Amino acid sequence: MKTKKWLGILSSVGLPLLFGVVIFVLWQTQVLHSWLGTDTITLPLPTRISEIISQNKDSIGSQVKMTLIVALGGLAAGSVMGYLIAVVASIFRKWGAGGLTIVSAFNAIPIVALAPVINNWTRDVSNDVSVRSTLAKIIVVTISCTAAMSVNAFRGLTELKPFSEDLMTSYAAPKIVVFTKLRLPNSLPYVFTALRVSVPASVIGALVTEYFAEDTVGVGRQIRENIVKGQYPTAWAYIATACAIGIGMYIILMLVERMVLKRRRA
Amino acid sequence: MKAERKRFLLAGVAAIVACMQFTACSGGTPSSGSTSSASSDGSSAATESTAAESSSAAEESTAGAMTHEEIIRSAAAEGMVGNWGLGNEYEIQALLTKYGLPTDYITQDFTMDQFDSDSVKLASAMTYNELGLVVNSYDGGYGYGDTVSTIDMNDEGVAMLEDNLFTSKAFAEANPNTVKAFVSASMKGWAYACEHPDEAAQIVFEAGSSVSADHQAYMASEVAKLVTTDMNGNSVSAADVGNMDEAAMQQTLDLAKQYIILEDSAAKDKLASLTLDDIRSTDYLSYDPATDGAPEKTSVSVQLKWLPQAQFMGYYVAAAKGYYDEVGLTVDIISGGGDISETTAVYNGTVDFGVTWVSNLINANAGGMELLEVAQVYQRSGLVLVYKNDNYTK
Repeated sequence: MKTKKWLGILSSVGLPLLFGVVIFVLWQTQVLHSWLGTDTITLPLPTRISEIISQNKDSIGSQVKMTLIVALGGLAAGSVMGYLIAVVASIFRKWGAGGLTIVSAFNAIPIVALAPVINNWTRDVSNDVSVRSTLAKIIVVTISCTAAMSVNAFRGLTELKPFSEDLMTSYAAPKIVVFTKLRLPNSLPYVFTALRVSVPASVIGALVTEYFAEDTVGVGRQIRENIVKGQYPTAWAYIATACAIGIGMYIILMLVERMVLKRRRA
Repeated sequence: MKAERKRFLLAGVAAIVACMQFTACSGGTPSSGSTSSASSDGSSAATESTAAESSSAAEESTAGAMTHEEIIRSAAAEGMVGNWGLGNEYEIQALLTKYGLPTDYITQDFTMDQFDSDSVKLASAMTYNELGLVVNSYDGGYGYGDTVSTIDMNDEGVAMLEDNLFTSKAFAEANPNTVKAFVSASMKGWAYACEHPDEAAQIVFEAGSSVSADHQAYMASEVAKLVTTDMNGNSVSAADVGNMDEAAMQQTLDLAKQYIILEDSAAKDKLASLTLDDIRSTDYLSYDPATDGAPEKTSVSVQLKWLPQAQFMGYYVAAAKGYYDEVGLTVDIISGGGDISETTAVYNGTVDFGVTWVSNLINANAGGMELLEVAQVYQRSGLVLVYKNDNYTK
C-alpha cells in the first residue's frame, strides 16, 4: 500500500519535474533555438534570464507587488460581485438564467478593447496617476473574473441534492435558513471550480491591462517596454516572473481548496 | 411561453444597452473604421474636437506668463509632466534633471485627450504631429490656436536626434552598394520633399494615410523644418540632407548613456562602452554608380517607425518620383505602428532598412543587436512640451 502511494507521488511530481529538466537542457544547449530558427538575443538562455532576475530582485519585486495588487484586487471584487449576482439570480429564478447569459457575454469582451475604454471612464476619479490607473486596471480584472464565478455559483446555489429542498420544506424552514444551511455550503465546491478559472484569468487580465494603463508599473508593462526597446533578456526575465506569479497563485489556490474541501469532496 | 419570450426580449434589450455603453466611449479605441489611435510620432484619432474647452479670454500677455523653468517646476511638483515612454522619454528626463527635478512622468496615450482634460498639464508633443492637432481646428484637431505655448528641447539644450535611416551591420557589409544607392535616392527624395512640402503631403496621402489631408500638409511643412534646420537653428542645405552632425550625434549618445536605465547588467556595460562608430557609419552617404558599382540586392524593403504619414515623406516621394528606379532598386515601404519594433524587424532580417530614433538604436545595440545608422534625416529634435497659457499665468 505504501509503495503504491509513493509511486503515485513519484509519477505526479517526478514526471513533470523530469519534463521541466528536459526543456531546460534543450533550451540551454540551444537545441531549441535550432528547432525554432531563432537566436540567443530574441530567445535568451535560461541562465541569462535567471541572472537578470537575481540581479534586479528589488525592482522586479516592486513591479510584482503592483501586478499582484491589481490581480488580487480584481479577483476579490470580481468573485464577490459574481457571487452576489448568482445569489440574486437564484432568488429571482425566472430572470436568473437569462441574466447570467448577459453576464457571460461580458466575459467575451477582449481585455485589449476593454482597457482603454475603462481608462477613459476613470479619468476624472483622481488627480493622482497611480490611484486612477490602479483603479482602472482593477475594474478591468473584475469584469473578467465576474462571469466564471456567477455561472458556477448559480449552479451551486440551485443544483441541490434530490429531495433536500423538500426536506427543508417539511421542517417549515424559512427561506433564509434554507439559503444559509443548504444552498451556501452546497455552492462551495462550485466556487472553487470558478476560482480555478478566475485566478489565472485575473493574472492574465492584470498583465494585459498594464499594457494600456497610464502608469508605467507592473510586470506586464515592463514586458512591453523592454521588447519595444529591444531589451530581450530583460523582457524574458519579466515573462518568467509573470509565469511564476500565475503558477504560484494557482498552487496557493489548490492548497486552500484542499484544506477547505477536505470533508466535502466526495 | 409568454414568460420565455419576455425573458429573451429583456435580455436582448439589456445586451443592446450594454453594447451602446461600450461604443459610446471613443477614448483610445478606434471609433471609426479607418483611423486607428494615434501614437508617439503618429497620426490623429477621430476624437471629438473640443474647441469649446479653450477659454475665450485668451490670456496671451507675456507680462503675466511664467518662465519655462517655473512652468517645468510647477508641473513636476504636481506630477503633471507627460510622455509616451517606450523610448521617447529621455529628452524629458534630461530636461527634468537639468532643473534638479525627479524624472517621473505620466504616460500619455496616443491621443491628446489627457492634455485636453487637464490630466496632463505639460504634455509631450511632436511639432509636426500632436502639436498640430492641439493647435489646429481641422478634422481631428482640438483647436487651441494661440492659447497654448511650447517648450522646445533644442532651445533647452537637451535635444536628442530622432528619425534616421538604419540597417544591420551585416547587411551593410554584405551589400555596400545597395545601402549607398538606397541612401542617396532616399535623401534625394527628402530634399525634393522639403522644397515641395504640399506635393509631398499629397503623395503621402495618396499612398494610404491614417490622418486627414490637412494634417498631412501641416505635418509635411513642419517636418521640412526639422530636416533642414539643425539644433542650433542653422539651416542645412539640400546637399547635406541626411548628414550626421558630430556634435549633435555625440550629444544624443551622451544623453542616452545618462538616461537609459537598463536592468540587464551586460547591456548596461555595453551601453557605457558605446562610441559613435559603434552606432553609425558615414561611409554610405554618397553613391556613384560608375565607381562603386551596381547594387548587390535590387529588391529591398524599409520599415517605417509608424503609420504612413508625412513624417516619412522622403521615402514616398523618392518612390513616386522614380529616384529608386534610377539607381536600380525596387523598394517596398512597410508601415509600422502599434508595438511593431523596427529595430527587431531589421535585426532578424524581416526588412532590410528601418526608420527609428537614435535613442532606440542605441538601446537596441546595447541589447546586442548590431545595427548601423546610415543617414540622419531629422537634424533637430521635434519634441516639445506643450501647455495651456491659462494654466501657467502668474
